[in-house]
Amino acid sequence: MKIRKLTELAMLTALALIIFVIELHFPDIAIPGVKLGLANIITVYAVFVYKPSETAMLVACRVILGAIFTGNMSALLYSASGALLCLLGMLYLKRFLNLNYIWLCSILGGILHNTGQIASAMLVMQTTAVISYLPVLVLSGSIAGLFTGLCAQAVLKRFRKKEHL
Amino acid sequence: MNETANKPDKKILIILILTILILTICVISTISAFRKPESRYVLIIQNNQIIQEIRLDSAENQEFKILSADGGYNLIRIQNHEISISEADCPDQTCMKTGILRSENLPIVCLPHKLIIRFAEEGEFS
Repeated sequence: MKIRKLTELAMLTALALIIFVIELHFPDIAIPGVKLGLANIITVYAVFVYKPSETAMLVACRVILGAIFTGNMSALLYSASGALLCLLGMLYLKRFLNLNYIWLCSILGGILHNTGQIASAMLVMQTTAVISYLPVLVLSGSIAGLFTGLCAQAVLKRFRKKEHL
Repeated sequence: MNETANKPDKKILIILILTILILTICVISTISAFRKPESRYVLIIQNNQIIQEIRLDSAENQEFKILSADGGYNLIRIQNHEISISEADCPDQTCMKTGILRSENLPIVCLPHKLIIRFAEEGEFS
């Protein structure tokens, strides 16, 4: 891997972690699991700019370091399974969607993220009682996904314009 | 990335329709999830086992501790025939932020302590 690319990915990881830590200070919403997930702007951006393996490295670093920063290691399992499902889904969808539809990719990514979280919660708790949260979280995840997707789309388009000048 | 831009939009349309379909289903189920419970019978479940049953109508105001396997605890509060978790030493504190148990389908969940508080039908045992 070229040093230039390594630096870029490290910068993006740092940026995602900064966003993640800032978001921790946002006021909480009463429904568990509902979150804006602003750090995923970087994930969505990376999905459309870098290779799948590079994006996976970025996301893995972000998730593990994020868990260490918050000191909440028990949440690592849930965020990791959510992030994995989200990443796989978005990498697959990227093949069909062009740069004007990043927001759509991100909505589905958000939905998959929360689905992964609920699925792992169901496995850990050995119960189906938590599945009733799925529709609520899918809705909140798609709204958050739309927002992060639009942000990533705006960033990407601006970068493209600059590169072509 | 540029070659995908010239492909027909059919696949995008299918994805879009699917997304809208998923969201519609979720809106409907969300509305039903927030409906008020008919039952006043509450189960406290830990590690998939019922550890306590409470009839909210006859329950007195009280606070009690539930210990979990990893040494943590949740403090359960019953006040004015409503149940909530008032204190917990889990790292995310989500169970406290959920507040009072109001909805039939949305239980209070403490993932780190594998604790669930939910409404149930009288005589329903899982």
